[in-house]
Amino acid sequence: MSKDKEIKGYRQQPGKIPFAKPGSGGREPFSKLRDLEMIPKSEGGYRAQPKGKNRHDHLLTGSTIGRRTPLVDSNWKVTGQAKYGDDIRLPNELIGRILRSPHHYARIRSIDTSEAESIKGVLAVETGQKHTDLFGVLPVTKDEHAMAVDKVRHVGDLVACVAAENESVALEALRKIKVDYEVLNPIIDMKKSLKDVEEPIHNRGKYHIGRSNVQKRVFQEFGNFESVKNPYVSSKSKWKYAGVNHGFTEPHAVVADWEPSGRLTLYTPQQVPHYVHRSLADVLKIPMHQINVHRTFVGGGFGGKSDPFPHEMCAAILARKTGRPVRITFDRDEVFYTNRGRHPSHIEMNLHADKEGRICGIETDALIDGGGFASFGHVTTYYNGVLHTAPYEIGSFHYTGARVWTNKPASGAMRGHGAVNSRCAVELGIDDICEQLEVDPITFRLANLLPPHSSTITGFRITSIGMRDCLEKVREACDWEQKFRKLPFGHGIGIGCGFFISGSGLPIHWDPNKFPHATVHLKIDMDGGVTIHTGAADIGQGSDTVVAQSVSEVLGLPIEMIRVKSRDSDTSPVDLGSYSSRVTFMNANAAISAAIKIRDELIKATADICNVEEKSLVIGDRRIYQKKDPAVGVSYLEALHKAQEERGALISSGAYRTPPMGGVHKGAAAGLAPAYSFSAYAAEVKVDAETGITEVVKVWAAHDCGRALNPLSVEGQIIGSCHMGLGQVLTEEMRYTKKGNLLNPNLLEYKIPTIHEMPEVVPIIVESNDPEGPFGAKEAGEGPLLPILPAVCNAVYDAIGIRTNELPITPDKLYKLIEKKVRSLKLDSPLNLPNPKLNYSKLQNTLEDRADNHKVRDQDRKLDPKREPYYNGTIFGKVSTIPPEEQDERWTLSVTPSEEYLANPRLAGSAWKHVEVRHMKRGDET
Amino acid sequence: MSNSPHVPMIPTGQKSSWDAVINNRIFDDLNIESNAILLDVLRDSVGMLGVKRGCDLGTCGCCTVLIDGVPKLSCLTLAAETKGKQITTVEGLANGSHLHPIQKTFTECGGSQCGFCTPGFLVVISALLNENSNPNDREIKDAIEGNLCRCTGYQQIVDSVHAAAEILNSNQSVKDNTCAQVDPHPGIDRTTE
Repeated sequence: MSKDKEIKGYRQQPGKIPFAKPGSGGREPFSKLRDLEMIPKSEGGYRAQPKGKNRHDHLLTGSTIGRRTPLVDSNWKVTGQAKYGDDIRLPNELIGRILRSPHHYARIRSIDTSEAESIKGVLAVETGQKHTDLFGVLPVTKDEHAMAVDKVRHVGDLVACVAAENESVALEALRKIKVDYEVLNPIIDMKKSLKDVEEPIHNRGKYHIGRSNVQKRVFQEFGNFESVKNPYVSSKSKWKYAGVNHGFTEPHAVVADWEPSGRLTLYTPQQVPHYVHRSLADVLKIPMHQINVHRTFVGGGFGGKSDPFPHEMCAAILARKTGRPVRITFDRDEVFYTNRGRHPSHIEMNLHADKEGRICGIETDALIDGGGFASFGHVTTYYNGVLHTAPYEIGSFHYTGARVWTNKPASGAMRGHGAVNSRCAVELGIDDICEQLEVDPITFRLANLLPPHSSTITGFRITSIGMRDCLEKVREACDWEQKFRKLPFGHGIGIGCGFFISGSGLPIHWDPNKFPHATVHLKIDMDGGVTIHTGAADIGQGSDTVVAQSVSEVLGLPIEMIRVKSRDSDTSPVDLGSYSSRVTFMNANAAISAAIKIRDELIKATADICNVEEKSLVIGDRRIYQKKDPAVGVSYLEALHKAQEERGALISSGAYRTPPMGGVHKGAAAGLAPAYSFSAYAAEVKVDAETGITEVVKVWAAHDCGRALNPLSVEGQIIGSCHMGLGQVLTEEMRYTKKGNLLNPNLLEYKIPTIHEMPEVVPIIVESNDPEGPFGAKEAGEGPLLPILPAVCNAVYDAIGIRTNELPITPDKLYKLIEKKVRSLKLDSPLNLPNPKLNYSKLQNTLEDRADNHKVRDQDRKLDPKREPYYNGTIFGKVSTIPPEEQDERWTLSVTPSEEYLANPRLAGSAWKHVEVRHMKRGDET
Repeated sequence: MSNSPHVPMIPTGQKSSWDAVINNRIFDDLNIESNAILLDVLRDSVGMLGVKRGCDLGTCGCCTVLIDGVPKLSCLTLAAETKGKQITTVEGLANGSHLHPIQKTFTECGGSQCGFCTPGFLVVISALLNENSNPNDREIKDAIEGNLCRCTGYQQIVDSVHAAAEILNSNQSVKDNTCAQVDPHPGIDRTTE
């Protein structure tokens, strides 16, 4: 760019995009500065909007945010050009295959690989003996090996791996590996894992809990338990949830390539490339800078590709030994034996309400079956409890949870991590309580919500909350008043709610006060295109699109000028990965701060060219110009070239870190998030009482995602979540025999809903505009799954008056319940079962008044920048601005059980009867 | 070492020559085993990696291809059965630089999220639209009942089919905005300038 003073404003770039004339603002005569701050009058508009420090400023351009944007990589997908794990074909590649354990639990005496190695075409056979370093996704529970070192812990556990010229030779070699097993007694029933055994599945040394198979136990007591002793009404339930697999369509696959430079490149469809990076360094004993983890396109994750996996280690080990690229692809049954799906669980849920229609106590006991390894289980154990302490104000909360090892494929993180099952139990409990109180369940919920900017009973910081809007919109959309308890027998409607974390407050791997959770680098050179370097893993949810949108919005450029490079760890800044619904919130915030730095430079350059004040300039569609006189300004390219003088390409870096928050008790960080999403669904079902077949007819799904950056994706996430949740509630189940054999490790017998089972879903997007979210956004990926389960179960009750307590509600299970009730009522046909009816009690009016008052309270709190703190418990008459523990002498806050409790513990609570090895007195060990 | 004679686990078939017209390209120099599966041949020998392997059991529909215009699961088809036939994979749907309408609408309506099941859906839907350019919901559901999608919940896929039918019935063609020859400045709408 020449410094010629004559060049002011517009100039055509030869061969480049023809920029529109000055003042035209590009495509449009004037650039539209969309007023994103405007609140409709109906919601108390025209008052100042609260702003957090992470909110984007006044220079919004309206380029892309809030528009239905196709995924930036979708053209690759629809043309078949997207390269997933197995599509990486490197020259000279070898095929890797894995020998898996046929036994549930066995000690490996010896492995003879000599015959396998002698087969022509076999280049390497490796076993666990040389690779004894442990890894795992959580640093506190590393318990996996690349291949079994001493014991196999479930059918399908890795024993050995081979690399061969082609697949049939590889399979042949597996057959020739001779393994001498000493078969041990497996533990299949999770209840038995609570007891002491001779040989626990893992040995955690001094941290081992007795000699049991308890991997993690949690005890939490918050509140004043006086009110729970004599509640007005109670709902008690005992739940049994089957394990669920993610069912992503792409089986795991990995390619390892040891390059001539001596560095390893691992091509893998991963949600969390960074943890793989760390684990590879641990197992291969090479520094992290010698490894490049390349994330391929990911054919669905849902949490199932968020562990560092042993087969990824195997591929790297084989590639190192053979000096050639090695590709390992799973068969579908290997996917099921790797699992990491939702935990099978036993949940006991007691809910108590008082005369005023307030939830005075929740007592939860969750025993979850972790299978053979720890995976994310440490966190899951907490999430089963702490993620149902909102959105309602509760008087007391008591949670005992235990995760145990069994000799089954490991459970792990799956969409709605840890919150799904206990949420279902809570929402059914609330429905039951409403039935006993004779009030409307939506009114009951509306009268018990936490306000915006409040603190939950366990100390989570709630910022924006759109729960009320969700409930009201759903109630209106589904015509609730006309349907609830009024539909004919066999036809019912039900409601369910949920809330979920939007990013985890604490990163897994480091002190949050020292490193950012997400970092984004931007680079802009002469061509004007913006390159985004980010480590965020796009697993199909559209994170590349969101980060491109964010930058496009800040810089006022069309999204086509943005390119996202998010695949290689060599070029991407560290990002913690796609889990905990953290990507949009954290990564887009990082992208915004990086883009603002670039924008500041562009504005400064424009001010220099035009000789005007920086403050007077705004950004439009590829132009920077004076707000009051749009004719004064330059094109984006001109400003860019001016800014590049003396220094070349513009480069900036932006980062996001969560603010300090939360309590100080043990486990306070679990479930802590910078923002929470909320959702409310209504489901309409038809139940055939004579066969027990449940059909979901229609779902109304309202989700508060803060702000829909890309409504197309948000709706896709809501409908997709419904699909996955409906699978869990109606058909999906990992079926084990009593001996622990998995009966359905394939997609034929593991029933994922097809299009015929899928009801119409009406997605309703609620925008509560979070003060810290990027442009106000929160998560939309996991939260939408939670409410669908209870909504369907509650609808089944509305249809035939039967409360289920086991998922999935397959026809055989439901029919057994129908049969039982028919027999107990001495009816001659299931069609004569009583249809639930509702006659409002006096409490209904009280609750309606309270809901109306709270609606005003919530609106005031949302818009008042000088609001005072609000602690959970205010509804019970406590002072809202003082933490309850400081104003109630009998307030308990405990994370270890008392002697009194241990005398008569609940199921999972009995895990606390064991003493950790390090606390044992001498002599106890034997 | 065992003394028993070497019996390979997977019997190898005899190799014979195989030819087919794949995406309008003639492949006549391939030598395949008599028991080779079409999916393996397409992915490993021909290099059509757009055909996806999801389950190997005919349960997910990711590997669907068109054989003489009819959707078939390539994981359940012996390559030998398709000798001399016309095979269309997702790579063959676009006409030069012009996308098939269903490819275009899949991106615009959110029919594709992770994209792994997309190739299977696209070929099935293209066959449907070929026979019936204005299918109703029931016909669409019947057509794609053999395809599993874990991301979208199918709703946006059905939306995409309706949108594509609209394009087809209006006789528009769809611009391929991945192709630089068609549009050197993709995405910038210059019609108003």
